[in-house]
Amino acid sequence: MKFNRIYAMVLRFFYLFRHSYDRIGDAFYWPTIDLLIWGLTSSYFRTFAPNAPQIILIILSGHMFWLIVWRAQYEITVNLLEELWNKNMINIFVSPIKFSEWALSFVIVGIIKAAMSFPFTMLVVYFAYKINIIFFSWYFIPIIFLMFMTGWWVGFFVSGLILRFGTKVQTLAWTFAWVIGPFAAIYYPISVLPAWAQKISAFVPASYVFEGTREIINTGSTDPSKFYLSFVINLIYLILSILFLRSSFKKVLNKGLVKVY
Amino acid sequence: MDILQVKNLKKKFGKFMAVNNISFSLKEGEILGLLGPNGAGKTTTIQMLLRVLMPTSGEVKYFNKSLTDNREEILEKVNFSSTYTQLPWLLTVAENLKFISYLYQIKNRSQRIKKIIETFRLKRLMKEQMKDLSSGEVTRVNLAKAFINYPKILLLDEPTASLDPETADYIRKFLIKERNKFNVSIIWTSHNMAEVEEVCDRVVFINHGKIIADDTPERLAKTIEICHVALNVPDGLKRTIEICQNKKVIYKLEGRNIVVDLKEKEIPEFLRELMDRGVFYDQISIEKPTLEDYFLQVAPNESKNEV
Repeated sequence: MKFNRIYAMVLRFFYLFRHSYDRIGDAFYWPTIDLLIWGLTSSYFRTFAPNAPQIILIILSGHMFWLIVWRAQYEITVNLLEELWNKNMINIFVSPIKFSEWALSFVIVGIIKAAMSFPFTMLVVYFAYKINIIFFSWYFIPIIFLMFMTGWWVGFFVSGLILRFGTKVQTLAWTFAWVIGPFAAIYYPISVLPAWAQKISAFVPASYVFEGTREIINTGSTDPSKFYLSFVINLIYLILSILFLRSSFKKVLNKGLVKVY
Repeated sequence: MDILQVKNLKKKFGKFMAVNNISFSLKEGEILGLLGPNGAGKTTTIQMLLRVLMPTSGEVKYFNKSLTDNREEILEKVNFSSTYTQLPWLLTVAENLKFISYLYQIKNRSQRIKKIIETFRLKRLMKEQMKDLSSGEVTRVNLAKAFINYPKILLLDEPTASLDPETADYIRKFLIKERNKFNVSIIWTSHNMAEVEEVCDRVVFINHGKIIADDTPERLAKTIEICHVALNVPDGLKRTIEICQNKKVIYKLEGRNIVVDLKEKEIPEFLRELMDRGVFYDQISIEKPTLEDYFLQVAPNESKNEV
């Protein structure tokens, strides 16, 4: 791997970020609006459930961690779409850049942008609701990492579909993560799901993390095996999604990169 | 010395054979024109030479090394420009050149970008977003991008399309100068036959995915025997037409101008006959066969379709 080529792609997407109000809105405006609406809604619910004082923290922390999944997958899928919309794939791949360097640059852009927008949302939550996400203490690190892993495999899988079927399936870049959402049990315990959905939930690695976060909020600790299990399932999906993306890219090379749009 | 060797290259899309077993080479410092009507297989060939399209079979070697096994090393020294591809349109010219420069191992990166900006007269456009440029300006930026890595081989797909005549001429001269100075080898596709004749040392003509000619533009043009004899005939136009009809030669009329297609050796006899029949013409020009005539002869149907 060559650092200069990865840097080139990171630079390309940060230049875009600077010029695109859509991207700036996605990073700061929408998360803020979401958190304000969810925060106000859960404050209202709390008036009906005075025995559940943690309701705001459960909902807002769930939402904030899910934003990391969203951010990580979005930077992979939408940046790929940017290249297709701009018909820029050929300019990239007539250079010596490798497929792995190109894919890694998306991951790095996602991490950097999450590092920009997540602290911002932390501040919003802190100032609006006096909630400090640092409350999760050292659990914070594995939670964030596992959320990123989920975002990456979702992003790679959807990108593989976009490469195979073109921009006609581009809506998946915004919608696919939400297909997993209900089974990830972001805002509620898995036990409230119907039995069939609980079975699906067992295969969604983020569900273990959200169960863990709720346990931490309620009891101050959680069983680390939840995180280990989430890591293993995430890792398997990540490897499979990278293999799928790679095979999609090879398929595209048989059609010609200029023909993907 | 051959700097690029293409052997038995094939590309099949389903049942359609886009490129059918073509072989050719490119010498160091040579400018090779890749010609053919639309859909002939030129762009498909170029894409395979850049590995953005996988061939069905065949081999591409640059600098005696296989492109399959040495992609990164080879693409460091090769670049591409096409009028029909785009750079990210929200980025400025400066941003595009900067990020592209990082895709290559370039020493003195900022110096190189500065030089490229001067060469392609882009200084005024540096802060402009690509979406705000004219098509001619976009072409210049695309060409600048292609030169950023000091390429040894350039693949240019219609590099002067959409440029005004003055800029197109400047670019042609610049490319020839670069070739002379740095021995850059160039593959050039174009529909402008006069340009190909001016610039290219050799032409590979592709039709229906096959190479049907590989020679210098002059020699290809010479395979066509027909010259165009243009006359302005103030007196005796009817008699001139009669002579053409008797000789069964092709002619075109425009007012009192007549253009007659004749073999070079038939011209003196034709002119003598005009004199004998008392035809008076006050202007004459004889156009020798060009590459365009060759193109029209070998790919007549496709050329009509293009029009």
